[in-house]
Amino acid sequence: MYVYRIMLLLVFCGYLFSPLLMSGWGNSDMAWYRPFAIWAVLIALTGWLSWKRRQDNLRQRRGHHEPSQ
Amino acid sequence: MIPSGLAALTGLGVGYLMLLFACATAVDRGWLPRSLVRHPATHILALGVYASAWAIHGSLELAQRSGFGYLAYYLGVAGTFLLAPVLLIPIQRLSRTYQLASLADLFTFRFRSRWVGTLVTIVSLLAVLPLLALQVQTIGTSIYRLSGIGSADWYALGFSALIALFAMLFGARHNHLNARHDGLLAAIAFESLVKLAAMLALGAIALFGIFDGPADLQAWLNGPGQQAQQLSEPLDASQWRTLLLLFFAAALLMPHMFHITFAETLSRRTLLRAGWGLPLYLLLIALPIPLILWGAQRQGIDVGANNVAYLAFDLSYSWWADALAFLAGLAAASGTLIILSLALSGMLINHLVLVARSPLDRPNLYHWLRWLQRGLIAGVIAAGWLFYRLVGIEHDLSSLGLAAFVGMAQCLPGLLALLYWPGANRTGMVSGLCTGLLIWLLGLGLPLVGVDQPLTLLMPDGLTSYPPWYLTALTSLIANGLALILVSLTTPTSTGERAAAEACSVDAVVRPMRLPLMAANADEMTHQLSHALGESVAQREIERAQQALGQSPSEARPYALRRLRDRIQANLSGLMGPAIAQDIVDRWLPYRQMSQPATEDIHFVERRLEGRRTRLTGLPRELDDLRRHHRQTLLRLPTGLCVFGSDGELLMWNDALAKFSGIAASTVVGAHRNSLPTPWSALFQRLLSEPSGKLYKQPAQISGDTRFLGLRRSSPHPLESNGSTVILVEDQSEMKWLEDELVHSARLASIGQLAAGVAHEIGNPVTGISSLAQNLRYDTDNPELLETAHQIQELTTRISTIVSSLVGFAHGGRQAINADMVPVSIARVTDQALHLIQLTRSGEDICFVNRCLPQLQVIGDEQRLQQVMVNLLSNARDASPPGDTITIDAHIECDTAHGSNSNLLRISVTDNGEGIDPAIRDHLFEPFTTTKAPGSGTGLGLPLVHSIISEHNGQIDIESPPTGQAQGTRIVLRLPAHQEPPPIDEPL
Repeated sequence: MYVYRIMLLLVFCGYLFSPLLMSGWGNSDMAWYRPFAIWAVLIALTGWLSWKRRQDNLRQRRGHHEPSQ
Repeated sequence: MIPSGLAALTGLGVGYLMLLFACATAVDRGWLPRSLVRHPATHILALGVYASAWAIHGSLELAQRSGFGYLAYYLGVAGTFLLAPVLLIPIQRLSRTYQLASLADLFTFRFRSRWVGTLVTIVSLLAVLPLLALQVQTIGTSIYRLSGIGSADWYALGFSALIALFAMLFGARHNHLNARHDGLLAAIAFESLVKLAAMLALGAIALFGIFDGPADLQAWLNGPGQQAQQLSEPLDASQWRTLLLLFFAAALLMPHMFHITFAETLSRRTLLRAGWGLPLYLLLIALPIPLILWGAQRQGIDVGANNVAYLAFDLSYSWWADALAFLAGLAAASGTLIILSLALSGMLINHLVLVARSPLDRPNLYHWLRWLQRGLIAGVIAAGWLFYRLVGIEHDLSSLGLAAFVGMAQCLPGLLALLYWPGANRTGMVSGLCTGLLIWLLGLGLPLVGVDQPLTLLMPDGLTSYPPWYLTALTSLIANGLALILVSLTTPTSTGERAAAEACSVDAVVRPMRLPLMAANADEMTHQLSHALGESVAQREIERAQQALGQSPSEARPYALRRLRDRIQANLSGLMGPAIAQDIVDRWLPYRQMSQPATEDIHFVERRLEGRRTRLTGLPRELDDLRRHHRQTLLRLPTGLCVFGSDGELLMWNDALAKFSGIAASTVVGAHRNSLPTPWSALFQRLLSEPSGKLYKQPAQISGDTRFLGLRRSSPHPLESNGSTVILVEDQSEMKWLEDELVHSARLASIGQLAAGVAHEIGNPVTGISSLAQNLRYDTDNPELLETAHQIQELTTRISTIVSSLVGFAHGGRQAINADMVPVSIARVTDQALHLIQLTRSGEDICFVNRCLPQLQVIGDEQRLQQVMVNLLSNARDASPPGDTITIDAHIECDTAHGSNSNLLRISVTDNGEGIDPAIRDHLFEPFTTTKAPGSGTGLGLPLVHSIISEHNGQIDIESPPTGQAQGTRIVLRLPAHQEPPPIDEPL
């Protein structure tokens, strides 16, 4: 559940601050690929959170392997 | 320009579509490995259907106008998939549980109205038409631009027809509208790969062919290219966020996205992986867009003209660069057209055609539905082409695309309410949707068909400077949401809607009720359903549901029938939509009206909890652990336990009872008490009618044996309580047999006492007879009389010996540990035992050979040792065939086991009978274990022998068969031997 909260926070912050991306177009102070690099970092972060959640689930399953009727 | 013009283009396009046909066919016929077809990567690539012709051509248009604003199309959807666990998974759960294949199905299920589904279908159709036209337009225009001859709209028609044919062949071949289309899914994944590869190649052409790599590009952007970038007007923050919201909603609401995400039954795990997989795909396909634009600008192409969407065709003079751009556009447009037409045809069938005309009187329902869907697929694509031909041809791609996305976004407030607000009702939802639709029509719909911006006329002057799509999206969504909330708060909500709201709500606590069905078994359900569906369809649907649930055709448990009903409803929902499915099951598979209030279906709740327990965290997880602990405690109780609900339905059947009865819990839990196998139904019935709530030693035939059961129930009287009845079942057979044997032993003991008395009474006359015979010998010299007197004396001596043995045996049973332990001759004890044995008539033809030497003695109680021998010899006699010989041996052994110098007397009784079954050999010394026929043996003899030998510090072993013999049994006793004290030398 904590992982979900982090994702919600991530997406909400992304939504709020995403207009900053607009300023990159034609801006000589910024590398043209910067928006894509930020995007790639976000994807990597999401992939890591997803992997972490899967590990947590596996741990929980191993902790309770007794079958029920 | 492609060298040979139209012919080459047609060949390329048709060849590509043929490749799609081949790919789908290979999958459907199983030529490709299943692991590849069902791989998560295939599913994630299929989700790339989102990247329609807009992603290839429309994005160039938007990038040229708004710079990085074009990224909203990709980032909005990426945001939705990043939130897959909280947004997509709940919808997937609903769509899978209730077989909801489209957004209209979902709304119909939640708001319990077929008209809501119809309204959502109409909104979807109206909103999606511009998007269909966009796809058709890009195909026609691309061919026209590349060939330079002919008419774009007729090219578009030709390719639309081919795409329609593909969709009809591979999208409508199953009996169920929402069945999994593996071939189609693989073809769409292939298309995603093609368009991604083509776009990356085009990006590489721009970056390394036109520019000299990233550094050169950056230098150009910082220098000469800066002027060209100033022409684009970045979106302001509010417009950007609105655009993001529109594309965020598109991932959930667009029919083709809903279809691939939810109707094609992606696994939960795949959907979670798509949370980062699809954003990665979109990143890669979005990256080449600015490269292509900048490359075109570097080459001095006029990007301000209307043809900016097709800049990729001008990047290079190479024919293969044009071919790549054409293939990218064709792959994007065809994938979207195929899935959109498939999804919309399903919605039109369920929510327009079937609502208008009942399908129930059709002789071949499946066939009719399949052809109807094929017709509608063709119709939807034809409508897209017509819209393009009549309306879309006048508009650029951005106008068409944005009109579609704003239109579909009108379902967003309803969808959010469906997931997160159980208070929303159908009146509110319809009011909101109609308000939003009206504003959309005024702001974007009517201007598309030529009416001059009626919404702008209604707006204050300060707002008219904003683009129409922004004004329309903002006002329609706000009005839509407000109407939904206000109307829902002020109008009543039906009970059915409340129940559906709970089922749909993310934090729903759904409590399924335990209601009995009118139908008593699957056959009756088939019969009832055949009124609605016809005999063959009803039979097939029942069989399909039973197979899915793993139920046998003879299943009659109420619990199983309820699950069967739910499954049939879900399957029919997939076939004809949720509204008609609900009507059919409500009418033909109704629940029985109960006088008592229905109780919760605990078994179902538990099964559901088990299935979802890995998703529980925190306090719910702790509570679930506690529940499991208590359940396991009950299941593992060493005594039998079962629980019945107040309606007589079996809720629990624990492990001990399952083992004892030989009935697995999975086969009886959920059954009614009266339908349990013999003898349980009658036993429980008797117990419940027993005022005391207890039954003792009830005889019952279980697994072919007669067992005696003790039963106790929890509540004083189940009819006075709405709660469950707990019943404890105890196997009292051993106690019953023990009691019977005790009674028998007491009877034998009294007979023994009687025999002792009789023997005493017999002793006196026998003594008299013996004395008279003695006198006779003294009084005569006649040899015949002397011989007679001698024989009389011998016979009386034998009578005395027998009587003496009988009295001794009778007394021996009462003696215990403190009896006198004296040297006893084994030969004599054996002789006495043989006397007793031979009194009985059975075994008269068995020969006993006593090889024990008279001088071999043990320390013990003679009477009890005699009892041992009687038992052993009796057993040996009973096991031996007529005419056989039983041998009794004895010899001295040295006791090496205990490290002492004492000797043991080894006594063996050997017969040549059938021997002892190895399975029971280890249990022979346990009470009531016998190899004899029922009624012939008590099973107490050997335990008594074992007890007596133990009292004498001896051992008993069984060899069956004896060493050196093929068959038979040898009982070996080892007892401390009596040793004569050595002669004491007299001191000199």
